[in-house]
Amino acid sequence: MTRLLLVSAIVAASWCLACGSPPTGGNQEVTSVEAAAIPRAADGKPDLTGVWQGGSRRRGTWEEANSGLGVGGTGLDPSAPASPGSQQVITDPAPYQPWAAARVLESFKRRGIDDPAGLCLPLGVPRISLVGLFPIQIVQTPTQVVILHEYMSVFRVIPLNAGHHADLVPTYMGDSVGRWDGDTLVVDVVGFNDKGWLTSTGTFHSDALHVTERYTRVDKDQIDYVVTMDDPKVLTEPWTIHTTLMLRDGTRLQEYVCAENNVEVAHYERMLKDGVPFRR
Amino acid sequence: MARHTLGVCLALVWLFASPAWAHHSFGAEFDANKPVTLQGVVTKVEWTNPHSHFSLDVTDEKGRTVTWQLTGYTVNALYRTGWKKDVTMKVGDAVSVFGWRARDGTRSAHAREVTFADGKKLFYGPPAGTGEGGTTPAVKVP
Repeated sequence: MTRLLLVSAIVAASWCLACGSPPTGGNQEVTSVEAAAIPRAADGKPDLTGVWQGGSRRRGTWEEANSGLGVGGTGLDPSAPASPGSQQVITDPAPYQPWAAARVLESFKRRGIDDPAGLCLPLGVPRISLVGLFPIQIVQTPTQVVILHEYMSVFRVIPLNAGHHADLVPTYMGDSVGRWDGDTLVVDVVGFNDKGWLTSTGTFHSDALHVTERYTRVDKDQIDYVVTMDDPKVLTEPWTIHTTLMLRDGTRLQEYVCAENNVEVAHYERMLKDGVPFRR
Repeated sequence: MARHTLGVCLALVWLFASPAWAHHSFGAEFDANKPVTLQGVVTKVEWTNPHSHFSLDVTDEKGRTVTWQLTGYTVNALYRTGWKKDVTMKVGDAVSVFGWRARDGTRSAHAREVTFADGKKLFYGPPAGTGEGGTTPAVKVP
Protein backbone atom coordinates (compact mmCIF):
# COMPACT_ATOMS: atom_id res chain seq x y z
CA MET A 1 0.00 0.00 0.00
CA THR A 2 2.83 2.37 0.90
CA ARG A 3 4.46 1.60 -2.42
CA LEU A 4 1.25 2.27 -4.25
CA LEU A 5 0.83 5.56 -2.45
CA LEU A 6 4.38 6.52 -3.36
CA VAL A 7 3.82 5.68 -6.99
CA SER A 8 0.62 7.62 -6.88
CA ALA A 9 2.35 10.61 -5.38
CA ILE A 10 4.99 10.53 -8.09
CA VAL A 11 2.41 10.29 -10.81
CA ALA A 12 0.43 13.04 -9.16
CA ALA A 13 3.45 15.29 -8.89
CA SER A 14 4.39 14.64 -12.51
CA TRP A 15 0.90 15.35 -13.66
CA CYS A 16 0.70 18.54 -11.65
CA LEU A 17 4.04 19.67 -13.02
CA ALA A 18 2.65 19.11 -16.46
CA CYS A 19 -0.28 21.32 -15.68
CA GLY A 20 1.78 24.38 -16.40
CA SER A 21 0.71 26.12 -13.22
CA PRO A 22 0.66 25.35 -9.53
CA PRO A 23 -2.43 23.58 -8.32
CA THR A 24 -4.98 25.65 -6.53
CA GLY A 25 -7.33 24.32 -3.94
CA GLY A 26 -9.64 27.21 -3.32
CA ASN A 27 -10.08 30.92 -2.92
CA GLN A 28 -7.34 31.22 -0.35
CA GLU A 29 -4.71 30.49 -2.99
CA VAL A 30 -5.94 32.97 -5.57
CA THR A 31 -3.65 35.96 -5.79
CA SER A 32 -4.99 39.44 -6.38
CA VAL A 33 -3.52 39.38 -9.88
CA GLU A 34 -5.32 36.16 -10.70
CA ALA A 35 -8.54 37.44 -9.17
CA ALA A 36 -8.34 40.49 -11.35
CA ALA A 37 -8.02 38.25 -14.38
CA ILE A 38 -11.28 36.46 -13.66
CA PRO A 39 -13.85 37.40 -16.31
CA ARG A 40 -16.84 38.99 -14.65
CA ALA A 41 -20.44 39.41 -15.69
CA ALA A 42 -22.24 42.75 -15.78
CA ASP A 43 -23.50 42.12 -12.25
CA GLY A 44 -19.94 41.75 -10.98
CA LYS A 45 -20.11 38.02 -10.40
CA PRO A 46 -17.40 35.79 -11.87
CA ASP A 47 -18.61 34.75 -15.32
CA LEU A 48 -18.56 30.98 -15.71
CA THR A 49 -19.88 31.19 -19.26
CA GLY A 50 -17.84 29.11 -21.67
CA VAL A 51 -17.01 25.61 -22.86
CA TRP A 52 -15.13 23.52 -20.32
CA GLN A 53 -13.49 20.12 -19.97
CA GLY A 54 -13.70 18.09 -16.80
CA GLY A 55 -11.02 15.71 -15.54
CA SER A 56 -8.13 17.80 -16.84
CA ARG A 57 -5.58 20.22 -15.43
CA ARG A 58 -4.13 21.28 -18.74
CA ARG A 59 -4.59 24.76 -20.14
CA GLY A 60 -5.18 25.62 -23.77
CA THR A 61 -7.53 24.65 -26.52
CA TRP A 62 -9.02 21.17 -26.70
CA GLU A 63 -6.38 20.16 -29.22
CA GLU A 64 -3.50 21.61 -27.19
CA ALA A 65 -4.68 20.19 -23.88
CA ASN A 66 -5.31 16.71 -25.26
CA SER A 67 -2.15 16.32 -27.33
CA GLY A 68 0.61 13.89 -26.40
CA LEU A 69 -0.58 11.82 -23.51
CA GLY A 70 -4.00 13.25 -23.96
CA VAL A 71 -6.84 12.82 -21.57
CA GLY A 72 -8.19 9.35 -21.47
CA GLY A 73 -6.15 8.57 -24.51
CA THR A 74 -7.68 11.16 -26.77
CA GLY A 75 -4.28 12.60 -27.61
CA LEU A 76 -3.22 13.26 -31.16
CA ASP A 77 0.12 11.49 -30.82
CA PRO A 78 -0.41 7.72 -31.06
CA SER A 79 3.20 7.05 -30.15
CA ALA A 80 2.61 8.50 -26.70
CA PRO A 81 1.90 6.05 -23.90
CA ALA A 82 -1.52 5.76 -22.41
CA SER A 83 -2.57 8.40 -19.95
CA PRO A 84 -1.29 7.47 -16.48
CA GLY A 85 -4.72 8.27 -15.21
CA SER A 86 -6.12 5.29 -17.04
CA GLN A 87 -3.63 3.00 -15.38
CA GLN A 88 -3.41 4.31 -11.86
CA VAL A 89 -6.07 4.38 -9.19
CA ILE A 90 -5.28 5.44 -5.65
CA THR A 91 -7.27 7.36 -3.09
CA ASP A 92 -8.65 7.08 0.34
CA PRO A 93 -11.52 4.64 0.14
CA ALA A 94 -14.92 6.16 -0.45
CA PRO A 95 -16.81 6.19 2.90
CA TYR A 96 -19.41 3.53 2.13
CA GLN A 97 -21.20 1.57 4.82
CA PRO A 98 -19.86 -2.02 4.90
CA TRP A 99 -22.83 -3.58 3.08
CA ALA A 100 -22.70 -0.85 0.45
CA ALA A 101 -18.92 -1.16 0.07
CA ALA A 102 -19.43 -4.85 -0.74
CA ARG A 103 -21.82 -3.87 -3.52
CA VAL A 104 -19.34 -1.33 -4.92
CA LEU A 105 -16.60 -3.96 -4.81
CA GLU A 106 -18.76 -6.49 -6.63
CA SER A 107 -19.35 -4.01 -9.42
CA PHE A 108 -15.59 -3.43 -9.62
CA LYS A 109 -15.00 -7.17 -9.86
CA ARG A 110 -17.52 -7.32 -12.68
CA ARG A 111 -15.52 -4.59 -14.44
CA GLY A 112 -18.44 -2.19 -14.44
CA ILE A 113 -20.53 -4.26 -16.80
CA ASP A 114 -23.55 -2.84 -14.97
CA ASP A 115 -22.55 0.78 -15.63
CA PRO A 116 -25.70 2.86 -16.24
CA ALA A 117 -23.75 4.67 -18.96
CA GLY A 118 -23.65 1.40 -20.88
CA LEU A 119 -27.41 1.71 -21.21
CA CYS A 120 -27.06 5.32 -22.40
CA LEU A 121 -28.61 6.63 -19.19
CA PRO A 122 -27.70 10.08 -17.81
CA LEU A 123 -24.69 9.94 -15.51
CA GLY A 124 -26.01 12.16 -12.72
CA VAL A 125 -24.13 14.67 -10.58
CA PRO A 126 -21.18 14.95 -10.21
CA ARG A 127 -20.20 12.05 -12.50
CA ILE A 128 -21.44 13.80 -15.64
CA SER A 129 -18.90 16.59 -15.07
CA LEU A 130 -15.97 14.24 -14.47
CA VAL A 131 -16.00 12.73 -17.95
CA GLY A 132 -13.08 14.26 -19.80
CA LEU A 133 -13.99 12.92 -23.19
CA PHE A 134 -16.91 15.29 -23.74
CA PRO A 135 -17.12 19.09 -23.33
CA ILE A 136 -19.45 20.99 -21.02
CA GLN A 137 -20.98 24.39 -21.77
CA ILE A 138 -22.00 26.81 -19.01
CA VAL A 139 -24.37 29.69 -19.77
CA GLN A 140 -24.69 32.17 -16.93
CA THR A 141 -27.30 34.89 -16.43
CA PRO A 142 -28.05 36.98 -13.32
CA THR A 143 -31.02 34.76 -12.47
CA GLN A 144 -30.00 31.27 -13.58
CA VAL A 145 -27.08 29.13 -14.70
CA VAL A 146 -27.55 26.53 -17.42
CA ILE A 147 -25.10 23.66 -17.87
CA LEU A 148 -25.18 21.74 -21.13
CA HIS A 149 -23.45 18.36 -21.33
CA GLU A 150 -22.54 16.91 -24.71
CA TYR A 151 -22.35 13.46 -23.12
CA MET A 152 -25.82 11.96 -23.19
CA SER A 153 -27.14 15.38 -24.33
CA VAL A 154 -28.37 16.27 -20.84
CA PHE A 155 -28.82 19.72 -19.35
CA ARG A 156 -29.20 21.38 -15.97
CA VAL A 157 -31.19 24.56 -15.40
CA ILE A 158 -30.08 26.05 -12.08
CA PRO A 159 -32.19 28.95 -10.80
CA LEU A 160 -30.36 31.30 -8.45
CA ASN A 161 -31.64 32.28 -5.02
CA ALA A 162 -34.56 29.89 -5.31
CA GLY A 163 -35.73 26.94 -3.27
CA HIS A 164 -36.29 23.37 -4.38
CA HIS A 165 -39.76 22.50 -5.54
CA ALA A 166 -41.80 20.58 -2.99
CA ASP A 167 -43.17 18.06 -5.50
CA LEU A 168 -39.96 16.67 -6.94
CA VAL A 169 -40.08 13.44 -8.89
CA PRO A 170 -36.79 11.56 -8.48
CA THR A 171 -34.52 11.92 -11.51
CA TYR A 172 -31.04 10.96 -12.71
CA MET A 173 -29.76 14.55 -12.66
CA GLY A 174 -31.66 15.75 -9.59
CA ASP A 175 -33.03 19.22 -8.96
CA SER A 176 -30.49 22.04 -8.69
CA VAL A 177 -30.67 25.50 -7.16
CA GLY A 178 -27.78 27.91 -6.83
CA ARG A 179 -26.53 30.95 -4.97
CA TRP A 180 -23.39 33.04 -4.90
CA ASP A 181 -21.13 32.77 -1.85
CA GLY A 182 -18.72 35.61 -2.60
CA ASP A 183 -17.02 34.60 -5.85
CA THR A 184 -18.08 30.96 -5.56
CA LEU A 185 -21.23 29.55 -7.14
CA VAL A 186 -22.76 27.07 -4.71
CA VAL A 187 -25.25 24.60 -6.19
CA ASP A 188 -27.49 22.43 -4.04
CA VAL A 189 -28.81 19.27 -5.69
CA VAL A 190 -31.48 16.90 -4.35
CA GLY A 191 -34.29 14.86 -5.86
CA PHE A 192 -32.16 12.05 -7.28
CA ASN A 193 -33.36 8.56 -8.10
CA ASP A 194 -31.23 5.60 -6.99
CA LYS A 195 -30.11 4.48 -10.43
CA GLY A 196 -26.86 6.39 -10.90
CA TRP A 197 -23.23 6.26 -9.84
CA LEU A 198 -21.47 9.10 -8.00
CA THR A 199 -18.07 8.91 -9.64
CA SER A 200 -16.26 5.72 -10.57
CA THR A 201 -17.23 2.11 -11.13
CA GLY A 202 -19.97 0.91 -8.86
CA THR A 203 -20.23 4.01 -6.66
CA PHE A 204 -24.00 3.82 -6.40
CA HIS A 205 -26.18 6.10 -4.32
CA SER A 206 -29.69 6.17 -2.91
CA ASP A 207 -32.59 8.55 -3.37
CA ALA A 208 -31.40 10.32 -0.22
CA LEU A 209 -28.38 11.73 -2.05
CA HIS A 210 -27.66 15.40 -1.40
CA VAL A 211 -24.92 16.99 -3.49
CA THR A 212 -23.32 20.37 -2.83
CA GLU A 213 -21.16 21.75 -5.64
CA ARG A 214 -18.83 24.73 -5.36
CA TYR A 215 -17.63 26.37 -8.59
CA THR A 216 -14.79 28.90 -8.16
CA ARG A 217 -13.25 30.42 -11.26
CA VAL A 218 -9.71 30.98 -10.03
CA ASP A 219 -8.43 32.51 -13.25
CA LYS A 220 -9.37 32.78 -16.91
CA ASP A 221 -8.69 29.12 -17.65
CA GLN A 222 -9.73 27.20 -14.55
CA ILE A 223 -12.73 26.54 -12.34
CA ASP A 224 -12.04 24.73 -9.09
CA TYR A 225 -14.87 22.24 -8.73
CA VAL A 226 -15.38 20.89 -5.21
CA VAL A 227 -18.21 18.47 -4.63
CA THR A 228 -19.57 17.10 -1.38
CA MET A 229 -21.86 14.07 -1.57
CA ASP A 230 -23.98 13.18 1.42
CA ASP A 231 -26.08 10.02 1.39
CA PRO A 232 -26.89 8.67 4.87
CA LYS A 233 -28.46 5.53 3.38
CA VAL A 234 -25.18 4.29 1.89
CA LEU A 235 -22.30 6.49 3.15
CA THR A 236 -20.92 6.75 6.68
CA GLU A 237 -20.05 10.43 6.26
CA PRO A 238 -20.12 13.11 3.56
CA TRP A 239 -17.62 12.48 0.75
CA THR A 240 -15.79 15.44 -0.79
CA ILE A 241 -13.79 15.42 -4.01
CA HIS A 242 -11.69 18.20 -5.55
CA THR A 243 -11.25 18.57 -9.27
CA THR A 244 -11.24 21.19 -11.99
CA LEU A 245 -12.98 22.33 -15.13
CA MET A 246 -10.65 23.81 -17.75
CA LEU A 247 -11.66 26.39 -20.36
CA ARG A 248 -11.69 25.10 -23.93
CA ASP A 249 -12.14 28.16 -26.10
CA GLY A 250 -13.10 27.30 -29.66
CA THR A 251 -14.67 23.95 -28.83
CA ARG A 252 -18.31 23.53 -29.76
CA LEU A 253 -20.70 21.03 -28.33
CA GLN A 254 -22.07 18.59 -30.86
CA GLU A 255 -24.94 16.16 -31.00
CA TYR A 256 -24.45 12.90 -29.17
CA VAL A 257 -27.15 10.26 -29.49
CA CYS A 258 -25.98 7.33 -27.42
CA ALA A 259 -28.86 5.06 -28.35
CA GLU A 260 -28.04 5.27 -32.07
CA ASN A 261 -26.03 2.07 -32.24
CA ASN A 262 -25.53 0.75 -28.72
CA VAL A 263 -24.59 -2.79 -29.72
CA GLU A 264 -22.60 -3.37 -26.54
CA VAL A 265 -25.71 -4.28 -24.57
CA ALA A 266 -26.46 -7.20 -26.87
CA HIS A 267 -22.80 -8.20 -26.80
CA TYR A 268 -22.83 -8.25 -22.99
CA GLU A 269 -25.98 -10.33 -22.96
CA ARG A 270 -24.40 -12.88 -25.32
CA MET A 271 -21.27 -13.01 -23.17
CA LEU A 272 -23.27 -13.60 -20.00
CA LYS A 273 -25.45 -16.22 -21.69
CA ASP A 274 -22.41 -18.04 -23.08
CA GLY A 275 -20.51 -17.84 -19.81
CA VAL A 276 -17.58 -15.86 -21.19
CA PRO A 277 -15.25 -15.16 -18.22
CA PHE A 278 -14.67 -11.48 -17.61
CA ARG A 279 -14.53 -11.03 -13.82
CA ARG A 280 -11.33 -9.85 -12.15
CA MET B 1 0.98 24.39 1.41
CA ALA B 2 3.02 21.48 0.12
CA ARG B 3 0.86 19.05 2.01
CA HIS B 4 -2.27 20.66 0.69
CA THR B 5 -0.91 20.57 -2.84
CA LEU B 6 -0.09 16.88 -2.58
CA GLY B 7 -3.57 16.22 -1.29
CA VAL B 8 -5.14 18.00 -4.22
CA CYS B 9 -2.89 16.10 -6.60
CA LEU B 10 -3.81 12.76 -5.07
CA ALA B 11 -7.45 13.61 -5.39
CA LEU B 12 -6.88 14.57 -8.99
CA VAL B 13 -5.07 11.35 -9.75
CA TRP B 14 -8.01 9.44 -8.45
CA LEU B 15 -10.40 11.52 -10.47
CA PHE B 16 -8.35 11.10 -13.61
CA ALA B 17 -8.30 7.40 -13.05
CA SER B 18 -11.80 6.66 -12.11
CA PRO B 19 -14.52 8.26 -14.18
CA ALA B 20 -15.73 6.96 -17.48
CA TRP B 21 -13.47 7.84 -20.37
CA ALA B 22 -15.38 5.47 -22.53
CA HIS B 23 -19.02 4.74 -22.90
CA HIS B 24 -18.76 1.28 -21.43
CA SER B 25 -16.30 -1.01 -19.73
CA PHE B 26 -13.34 -2.01 -21.86
CA GLY B 27 -12.46 -4.97 -19.70
CA ALA B 28 -15.89 -6.55 -19.67
CA GLU B 29 -15.77 -6.90 -23.44
CA PHE B 30 -12.08 -6.94 -24.37
CA ASP B 31 -8.96 -8.55 -22.92
CA ALA B 32 -5.95 -6.29 -22.35
CA ASN B 33 -3.80 -9.42 -22.22
CA LYS B 34 -4.66 -10.27 -25.81
CA PRO B 35 -3.15 -7.53 -27.98
CA VAL B 36 -3.57 -7.97 -31.71
CA THR B 37 -2.14 -6.27 -34.78
CA LEU B 38 -4.11 -6.65 -37.99
CA GLN B 39 -3.24 -5.65 -41.54
CA GLY B 40 -6.00 -5.57 -44.07
CA VAL B 41 -8.40 -3.67 -46.27
CA VAL B 42 -11.26 -1.59 -44.92
CA THR B 43 -14.63 -2.92 -46.09
CA LYS B 44 -17.05 -0.88 -43.98
CA VAL B 45 -16.87 2.33 -41.91
CA GLU B 46 -19.54 3.29 -39.38
CA TRP B 47 -19.45 6.70 -37.70
CA THR B 48 -21.95 5.96 -34.96
CA ASN B 49 -22.57 6.54 -31.28
CA PRO B 50 -21.79 5.48 -28.67
CA HIS B 51 -18.95 3.83 -30.59
CA SER B 52 -17.62 3.94 -34.11
CA HIS B 53 -16.83 0.74 -35.95
CA PHE B 54 -15.10 -0.44 -39.07
CA SER B 55 -14.65 -3.81 -40.75
CA LEU B 56 -11.35 -5.09 -42.00
CA ASP B 57 -10.70 -7.96 -44.43
CA VAL B 58 -7.57 -9.77 -43.28
CA THR B 59 -5.74 -12.72 -44.79
CA ASP B 60 -5.31 -15.32 -42.07
CA GLU B 61 -2.50 -17.86 -41.62
CA LYS B 62 -4.26 -20.30 -43.93
CA GLY B 63 -4.56 -17.79 -46.72
CA ARG B 64 -8.27 -17.25 -46.23
CA THR B 65 -9.85 -13.82 -46.17
CA VAL B 66 -11.59 -13.24 -42.86
CA THR B 67 -13.41 -10.16 -41.65
CA TRP B 68 -12.64 -8.46 -38.34
CA GLN B 69 -14.90 -5.97 -36.57
CA LEU B 70 -13.13 -3.05 -34.86
CA THR B 71 -14.62 -0.78 -32.19
CA GLY B 72 -13.44 2.65 -31.08
CA TYR B 73 -14.30 6.19 -29.99
CA THR B 74 -17.59 7.95 -30.18
CA VAL B 75 -18.04 10.16 -33.25
CA ASN B 76 -17.22 13.42 -31.47
CA ALA B 77 -14.05 12.00 -29.92
CA LEU B 78 -12.89 10.79 -33.33
CA TYR B 79 -13.54 14.25 -34.75
CA ARG B 80 -11.56 15.91 -31.97
CA THR B 81 -8.76 13.38 -32.35
CA GLY B 82 -8.22 14.47 -35.93
CA TRP B 83 -10.49 12.16 -37.93
CA LYS B 84 -12.66 13.41 -40.78
CA LYS B 85 -15.68 11.42 -41.86
CA ASP B 86 -15.40 9.92 -45.37
CA VAL B 87 -11.90 11.39 -45.71
CA THR B 88 -9.50 9.91 -43.15
CA MET B 89 -10.46 6.28 -43.72
CA LYS B 90 -12.48 4.97 -46.62
CA VAL B 91 -13.61 1.59 -47.90
CA GLY B 92 -10.74 0.07 -49.84
CA ASP B 93 -7.97 1.66 -47.76
CA ALA B 94 -5.16 -0.62 -46.63
CA VAL B 95 -4.43 -0.04 -42.94
CA SER B 96 -2.74 -1.62 -39.96
CA VAL B 97 -4.61 -1.73 -36.67
CA PHE B 98 -3.35 -2.29 -33.14
CA GLY B 99 -5.84 -3.22 -30.46
CA TRP B 100 -7.06 -5.88 -28.06
CA ARG B 101 -9.24 -8.90 -28.81
CA ALA B 102 -12.74 -9.50 -27.53
CA ARG B 103 -13.07 -11.94 -24.66
CA ASP B 104 -15.58 -14.11 -26.50
CA GLY B 105 -13.00 -15.22 -29.07
CA THR B 106 -14.81 -13.74 -32.05
CA ARG B 107 -12.98 -11.76 -34.71
CA SER B 108 -13.69 -8.56 -32.86
CA ALA B 109 -11.31 -6.12 -31.23
CA HIS B 110 -11.04 -2.73 -29.58
CA ALA B 111 -8.90 -0.62 -31.94
CA ARG B 112 -6.42 1.70 -30.25
CA GLU B 113 -4.32 2.88 -33.16
CA VAL B 114 -4.65 2.88 -36.92
CA THR B 115 -1.63 3.21 -39.22
CA PHE B 116 -2.38 4.34 -42.75
CA ALA B 117 -0.56 3.49 -45.96
CA ASP B 118 1.39 6.76 -45.84
CA GLY B 119 2.62 5.98 -42.34
CA LYS B 120 0.30 8.41 -40.58
CA LYS B 121 -1.03 7.15 -37.25
CA LEU B 122 -4.19 8.12 -35.39
CA PHE B 123 -5.84 6.88 -32.25
CA TYR B 124 -9.14 5.19 -32.96
CA GLY B 125 -10.05 4.30 -29.37
CA PRO B 126 -8.96 4.90 -25.77
CA PRO B 127 -6.29 2.85 -23.97
CA ALA B 128 -6.97 -0.60 -22.61
CA GLY B 129 -8.62 -0.58 -19.23
CA THR B 130 -10.85 2.45 -19.67
CA GLY B 131 -14.28 2.46 -18.13
CA GLU B 132 -13.79 -0.62 -15.97
CA GLY B 133 -12.78 1.07 -12.71
CA GLY B 134 -9.00 1.13 -13.00
CA THR B 135 -6.88 -1.21 -10.92
CA THR B 136 -8.18 -0.39 -7.46
CA PRO B 137 -11.79 -0.29 -6.30
CA ALA B 138 -13.24 2.91 -4.87
CA VAL B 139 -13.79 1.18 -1.52
CA LYS B 140 -11.51 -0.58 0.94
CA VAL B 141 -11.24 -4.29 0.29
CA PRO B 142 -11.98 -6.18 3.53
